[in-house]
Amino acid sequence: MSLPKRILKETERLMADSPPGITAAPKDDNLRHFDVTVAGPGQSPYEGGIFKLELFLPEEYPMNPPKVRFLTRIYHPNIDKLGRICLDILKDKWSPALQIRTVLLSIQALLGAPNPDDPLANDVAQHWKENEKAAIETAREWTRKYAN
Amino acid sequence: MSPNSSPKSSRSRPRSEPDLFFPVSDSEDENESIGTAATLRYGQTETQATVAPPDGSVKGSGHRQSNGDSLFFASQNSDITPISPKLEPKSSLGAGLSSSDAGPSRPSKRPSPTRSSSSAIPSDFSNGYLGEFVCEGWSLSKGKGYCVPGSKVVFERPKPAKAVEEVYKGGQNAGPTRLVNGKVVKAKGNAGGKQVTLGAMMAKKAAPLVTKKPPAKAIVDQIIRFRNDRGFEIGRLSVTEASFLVHLLDTNIISLRGHVIDCPPILSTGATILLNVKVYLTRTAFEKVEKEGREEGGTFWQEQKETIEEEAMRKRKDALGLLFGRIGVKPLQSNALLLAQKQNGSAVINEKSLQHFPSGRTPKDLTRRSQSPSKGSTSSGGKGKGKTSVRNSDDEAEDEDSGDEAEKLNDDQLNELDNIYRKAQQGDNRLEETNPPNTFLYTLRPYQKQALTWMNARETGDTSVRDQSLHPLWEEYAFRKEHNEGQPIEVEDDDDIIDPSRKFYWNPYSGELSLTFPTSNTRSKGGILADAMGMGKTCMMASLMHLNREGEADGASSPPDTEPVSKRPKFVQVTLSNQWRAVPTAPKPVSAPRATLVVCPVSLASQWHEELSKMSVKGSLSSYMWYGNDRVDIERLLSQEGKKRVDVIITSYGTLASEFQKWNKNKEKPGYEGGSVYDHDFLRIVLDEAHNIKNRTALISKACYELKGQRRWALSGTPIVNRLDDLYSLLHFLRLEPWGHYSFFRSFVTVPFLNQDPKALNVVQYILESCLLRREKTMRDKDGRLIVDLPKKTVALEVLDFSRPERQIYKHLEDRAKRRFIQLDAEGRAMSNYTSILAMLMKLRQCVDHPLLVLGKASAEDEMGDRLLDAGSGDEIGNLKDMVALYAGGGKDVDTVEVDKAYAAQVLKEIGESEGTTECFICASEIFDEVLLPCYHRGCQDCIVNYIGTCEDQNKVANCPICNQGPVKMTDLRSVQRRRKRINQITGTYIDDDGKPHTAGDTAVTIGKVDLVSSTKLRALVRKLESMRLEDGEFKALVFSQFTSFLDLIESTLTKAGIRWLRFDGSMSQAQRATTVEEFGKKHKEPVVLLISLKAGGVGLNLTMANHVFMMDTWWNEAIEQQAIDRVHRLGQNREVFVTRYIIKGTVEKRIIKIQRSKTALVNASLAGGAQRDKQASLADIKKIFGLDEDDSEDEVY
Repeated sequence: MSLPKRILKETERLMADSPPGITAAPKDDNLRHFDVTVAGPGQSPYEGGIFKLELFLPEEYPMNPPKVRFLTRIYHPNIDKLGRICLDILKDKWSPALQIRTVLLSIQALLGAPNPDDPLANDVAQHWKENEKAAIETAREWTRKYAN
Repeated sequence: MSPNSSPKSSRSRPRSEPDLFFPVSDSEDENESIGTAATLRYGQTETQATVAPPDGSVKGSGHRQSNGDSLFFASQNSDITPISPKLEPKSSLGAGLSSSDAGPSRPSKRPSPTRSSSSAIPSDFSNGYLGEFVCEGWSLSKGKGYCVPGSKVVFERPKPAKAVEEVYKGGQNAGPTRLVNGKVVKAKGNAGGKQVTLGAMMAKKAAPLVTKKPPAKAIVDQIIRFRNDRGFEIGRLSVTEASFLVHLLDTNIISLRGHVIDCPPILSTGATILLNVKVYLTRTAFEKVEKEGREEGGTFWQEQKETIEEEAMRKRKDALGLLFGRIGVKPLQSNALLLAQKQNGSAVINEKSLQHFPSGRTPKDLTRRSQSPSKGSTSSGGKGKGKTSVRNSDDEAEDEDSGDEAEKLNDDQLNELDNIYRKAQQGDNRLEETNPPNTFLYTLRPYQKQALTWMNARETGDTSVRDQSLHPLWEEYAFRKEHNEGQPIEVEDDDDIIDPSRKFYWNPYSGELSLTFPTSNTRSKGGILADAMGMGKTCMMASLMHLNREGEADGASSPPDTEPVSKRPKFVQVTLSNQWRAVPTAPKPVSAPRATLVVCPVSLASQWHEELSKMSVKGSLSSYMWYGNDRVDIERLLSQEGKKRVDVIITSYGTLASEFQKWNKNKEKPGYEGGSVYDHDFLRIVLDEAHNIKNRTALISKACYELKGQRRWALSGTPIVNRLDDLYSLLHFLRLEPWGHYSFFRSFVTVPFLNQDPKALNVVQYILESCLLRREKTMRDKDGRLIVDLPKKTVALEVLDFSRPERQIYKHLEDRAKRRFIQLDAEGRAMSNYTSILAMLMKLRQCVDHPLLVLGKASAEDEMGDRLLDAGSGDEIGNLKDMVALYAGGGKDVDTVEVDKAYAAQVLKEIGESEGTTECFICASEIFDEVLLPCYHRGCQDCIVNYIGTCEDQNKVANCPICNQGPVKMTDLRSVQRRRKRINQITGTYIDDDGKPHTAGDTAVTIGKVDLVSSTKLRALVRKLESMRLEDGEFKALVFSQFTSFLDLIESTLTKAGIRWLRFDGSMSQAQRATTVEEFGKKHKEPVVLLISLKAGGVGLNLTMANHVFMMDTWWNEAIEQQAIDRVHRLGQNREVFVTRYIIKGTVEKRIIKIQRSKTALVNASLAGGAQRDKQASLADIKKIFGLDEDDSEDEVY
């Protein structure tokens, strides 16, 4: 299956000039399937952690959004235990003008700004709301534990 | 005749040899010359008896009587008749008598030649030793002394009427055998037995019945008795063993000698006697068989009943076949087809093939084959078959169009075909080269010069250019050397004892024998020039026209033409009309015919005309295009001399067909004045693209057959299109014997092919070898260089994606078609709705090109497709049309003028500000068909339209993907057209498409409503052309489509894009076509695109000025597309050729290509719009097309 020009171009650019703290590289056997790492942003409980994700570009891309999932365990109200991410641009706010790069940057930003009001992992969100400090501590601990 | 006189004399010399009774000829001196080495040896050793030929037999009878043995044979005498062969000249009898008197002491000779009539037989040929076999016989006598192992025996056949027993006294030298009251006194013992010869003689006309033994005439008929050399009957040969000899003996084709191998010391009736039988072919065997053979015309095969001669020939053939098998005679040289037949066990094939025909309808020829050499059927069996096989001449008419599936070439066979071509080409690269005369201006390439050599040889009858191959139906044998009697018999390999210097030839199909090499030659002059497309067939033919200007004078010319005339009853009419014409019109010039008639598709006529004049020194060869309504009188035209002299007449198939009808109507009328093309004797007739006559029942084919000319040529890159029968028509036109007879061709090619007999292809190969020259572009000359060095050809298959609306429409259409087809198929009505199904497919194929084409109703077929698509879909009626209408709606009033000027100004300003970005934010490519959103964001039309569609599907608001403004509607889009600028490489200034200089940065942008009435393929084409224009401002390209309606759309799109185009399709007159091609060939300062309908322009045209080809759609048959590409990729092309084929992903096109590749049966006329045959196979293919029988998931590339 030939790859649309857009995907090729995006991949090229990602490889050549990746955003800070982010790497993304397609797998050898499937160029629509990317191995991604995102560094936890500074000033966040995830600082110092390197989180692995996988990203898949569906057939309809860019008309439909890419599918992204955390592989590394992370304690975050918008990310569940399966690594699924609650992010609007990955759902209804997707626009074909967005790209892999912008998606990954948004995810990085999400790490820096957890939103417990729109939770995916309810227990985490609950924890976050009730005792933010303890929750952040847990997040730090998880980062140390899993994201190294 | 006075038989009694000679016996007496012979009796008086007891030691006289049988040769006494077989004087070779009237001159004694000839004895030496007549005897072959073998016979001489024979005679000298005198150990064996020779078989008596007829004349000898007469004497023999006398001799016997002279022995006074009438007592012994009284009973036989009455039923044995001495019959001198009917053809035997009386004089030879007389001569024989006299010589017998004169030469009793001579060494014995073989049976003398009995006939002097045959020219093909060397005068010194008397007979040839074929071989020997062991045969069982039964004793009919009782007692001792009849024979001992080694005794010579004489074979005889009882004849009715008068007794003629030829039993001769054995060789005197052999031993002083005396018979005393039936007892052998003593045979000399040492050497083999006594010699006894018996000539079996019967005129071949009728096998008389034996009257003496009424109870079992049939059995009696088969009896061969043998006597010892003293004339005593010993016994008879086993019927099962020897019955096949009967006919041969009766017709005097063979003569036999024999001796006893083993027998009981005391015979009792019915005791088994083993005999060694030596068989000789007599001179008679090689005489021309008088029959109304096939060479005399097709009528032979169509006769209802076998004539007596035919029956005799058939029996003879059968018997010889058995004999050869029995003796183990092997051909030195046979053709592959016969070998193949044998290897396969002809019997098996034949039995099978017979089963294909209900009894009584079995074509005779088939039966003939069934009795081929290795088959052990008895002649009586053969006889029975022969009777049931009497050919019903009506069969042929039925057979003609019964082209069932099996006749078509399957994949393997098509590959086989390549092999056939290849084999037929073997050695062709060593042909000599012939230079054309200097009136011919072009320089021929080496392989073309070789073709000229070959063609010249074909025309002048020089057959030495190619090695002569054995006639396909003949086999070559050699006589064997006989080992000397008395010498130990060495066990030798068969090959060692054959005498290679003495060959003979046998036709196992007809039973004919010959001493001269039967070549596969035919009288026809001409052949098939089947070089691959683009090799310059026209050019080669033109050089031939220059080389051979004059035919033979009228008198000499008549044989080649009148013979075929007599062969085909219908041709008689030609002669008749000539007679009619001779009186009223001016006397025909007696000069030799010199004109060449070229028949070609109408689209090529002017090309022939031009090419011929370009290739010829002015005034050396002038051509005239003879077609249209104002056709002048051919005779007058050709009788012009001086400047108006015409050497070549060019006409079209269509013209010829109508001329043919006219002539057929008029020729019999008393007032007919001639002047038709059919009344002229041409020097040469050339059919260009000769596969046009592949259907032999078509009017045009008949029209071509009837043309009169000395030399006939067929030019075709594809002499065999789908079935072997295609070839037949060409052969018939060429009057190539014997293949030009349909029944013959059918018997040897078509029917075996039906029976999966590989022989069929072998026959084809042999035919081709004799009359076809084919080279391919990939072939190499003797030095290993490519014979044609064409520039590279790059074929790119561009797989495109439908735009969303297109896919919707297509899916809709496909679903309906599929449903409809499944329904029909389930109801078993698919066959009867075949045309409709094809129409549905047509719709789909059109839709792939452009959805608008679906609405077109160009033909009745389309309407059927429409109805079908509408029917059964209930409320969906019109839905599809609505969809398409909606699709088209956006473009209803596409007009740049309608755009609000203020808006435009605003837009232009915005665009000017963002001039830098030319990449579409969706596809990340350079924006193509730029459209503008109301927010001034821009993208490709496809991408934006697709985006809006996707949003609709997901029930989302289609806001601008970038700024989220919206919602955006299709109608809000505006197209942006920029005049492209490019840098003039030389001056460094910007120029626009008009070539006017612009200053840098000067933009010319127009805003218009979006033209949605385009299609994926169209846009891809334009995109490609635009980018090509940037690279080469003067490119020339061909665009092929099979739908002229699509060409219409391409036209308007190109016009909009500012690309110059020309058009070539079937609706144009010849003059228009010529003008178009000429115009296209001119040098233009801008790109030119020639839009060609695949059907009209796929063949023949030479368009090497272009080097880009676009195939907009796929045709069922890849060869057709290949043809189209070869318009460009052919001799004269010196640039690299780029071919682009556009395919839409996930549509019928994918499956069509699959089918194309598998080369299955679909590659036939039925889906291509031709006849309605072969539906069954096509139906299977249709299923494939609908994806009903395959796993669609794989191979999703398309």
